[in-house]
Amino acid sequence: MSKTVRERSIISTFDLKRPQVAVGYGFMLLVLFLIALTMLYPFGLTIFTSLKTRQEVFTFPPTFLPKIPQWSNYKEGFRFISLGRPFLNTVIIYLGNAVIPMMIVGLASFSLSQMKVPCRRWIVLFFMCTLMIPGATYLIPSFLNLQSLGLIDSYWALWLPAGANAFNIMLLKSFFDGIHKELFEAARIDGASELRCFFRIAIPLSIPVFVTLLIFTFTATWNDWYWPSLILTTPAKLPIAPIVYQNIVKSTNLALNIKFSILSVVMLPPLVFFLIFQKQIMHGLNLSGIKG
Amino acid sequence: MSTEAAIYKKQTAKSGFAKQVREYFWGVAFLVPAIVTFVLFLWTPIIKGIVYSFMEVDFVKGNRFIGLDNYRQIFASSLVGTAVLNTLLYMLMCVVIGYAIPSFVAIAISELRRFQGVMRLFVYLPNIVPAVVLYGMWQYIYDPLGPANQILSWFHAHPVMWLTDKSVAMLSIVLVETWQGFGATALIYLAGVVGIPKDLYEAAEIDGAGVYRRIRHITIPGIRHLYVLMLIMQIISTSQSFQTHYAMTGGGPNNTTLTYMYMLTNEAFVRFNFGGASAMGVLMFSVLTLLSVLVFIIQGRVKPS
Repeated sequence: MSKTVRERSIISTFDLKRPQVAVGYGFMLLVLFLIALTMLYPFGLTIFTSLKTRQEVFTFPPTFLPKIPQWSNYKEGFRFISLGRPFLNTVIIYLGNAVIPMMIVGLASFSLSQMKVPCRRWIVLFFMCTLMIPGATYLIPSFLNLQSLGLIDSYWALWLPAGANAFNIMLLKSFFDGIHKELFEAARIDGASELRCFFRIAIPLSIPVFVTLLIFTFTATWNDWYWPSLILTTPAKLPIAPIVYQNIVKSTNLALNIKFSILSVVMLPPLVFFLIFQKQIMHGLNLSGIKG
Repeated sequence: MSTEAAIYKKQTAKSGFAKQVREYFWGVAFLVPAIVTFVLFLWTPIIKGIVYSFMEVDFVKGNRFIGLDNYRQIFASSLVGTAVLNTLLYMLMCVVIGYAIPSFVAIAISELRRFQGVMRLFVYLPNIVPAVVLYGMWQYIYDPLGPANQILSWFHAHPVMWLTDKSVAMLSIVLVETWQGFGATALIYLAGVVGIPKDLYEAAEIDGAGVYRRIRHITIPGIRHLYVLMLIMQIISTSQSFQTHYAMTGGGPNNTTLTYMYMLTNEAFVRFNFGGASAMGVLMFSVLTLLSVLVFIIQGRVKPS
């Protein structure tokens, strides 16, 4: 069909000529089609419901498409809840998450990978041990610990603990390991300081892995609703996810079309982000699967 | 003479130490922030958790050592038993739906001759939905008069009370989470399936092995390491699950969706029994560690054969 020769897979073109295989293949296509439909249906539902009138929402059986798209629902949604402040908070939290933990993790993994360190083995063990311990088991003491450090209701309680991420250290270290040592030695002979080596050589050479980490940080920051709602006690400081959870998802008297207009808006940024960085995300996914 | 030697020795020792300091200074300096954050925000809570599990934590009167009382209470509580059973049921359902089936879907996707990229995209798309949107979305889908029951009515099935029927509520939650996580799992398997050398299939076909036998004897053994990895990841992540339960059913109806982790957070933030909650955490850690060690041993035994 296409001009480039396609690499064969499990079923060869020859196999497909046998009726038994062809029927099986057809069945497989049908199942995949149904799966694709199942995956897409809730998206359609959310968006189309957000464009329905109040009457349409309450009819049974529900229709899928709105008769006339009601874009004014979005206006009404924004009037019901102002997302400006929570959005700004999310951005602040994300910027902090993008800089502070990234620096902590980056410096440590660079040191372990390219610099002289005493007792390297023990330090690596000290970091990697924490991968074995499931996060949920110290959820409560973590909270109490932040309380005794006086960090409750402060963004530092989100930024600093994010730096204690052994998985990211492992990921970055294995990336730095791939950079030739001679490069840094040459730089050092030319009088570059270690900090310069890190910021001017190591980081520019590892842009792809940093981008992957920044993308995953964005998704995590945008999604996380439980932990921030525990840590941040002042409602004005809350990011978008807990605000939407408390005021939209949990509200019982809000009309469905308005509710879904807000949900569609909240869904949009990660979707756009994903479509832009699709390649890196897929790559990162394989990275986590193979290395994990 | 001897004093001179001593001085000389001291000097070299000093300069050796200074040299060592100079040599290691930056390497250690780069590590310090990470070590401090790990100690402060990871190791302290982990150790505090163990300590608190033997204590009655009280912000006003101060903490009091009570020995094994927290543990005794956990083992005596019938609700913990319910929560453990619920969690096991939940894990089982997640493994049945969300662990093996994605691998077959991955194999199927790898067989697509067209639209493979599109299919990958579609399958992964639910993963992008923020959790809060997911809850809102599925609350409506599961509404007694909502789309899920409408679809059932096409097949003349009785409407189901998805979130309020005791026997269905847990399954409903598993369906929500599987809808979201399915694609990522499938894509991880897919990376493995694509990585299998194609000559193996060629050789098998020439030797007369049918499609089913090629999958059974080449593809599935080829991604065996991923099966083990995904099983461990599934066990670890599903056993800690509680946020969806919290948001969608609140543990109800009649505690049928109360998971162990959910109960742990309730113990802490509703009943303010932080000591008991820490003890529950320690118990969970022991069980999970034991489990992953077991899986590794089993894996080690399977591999040589």
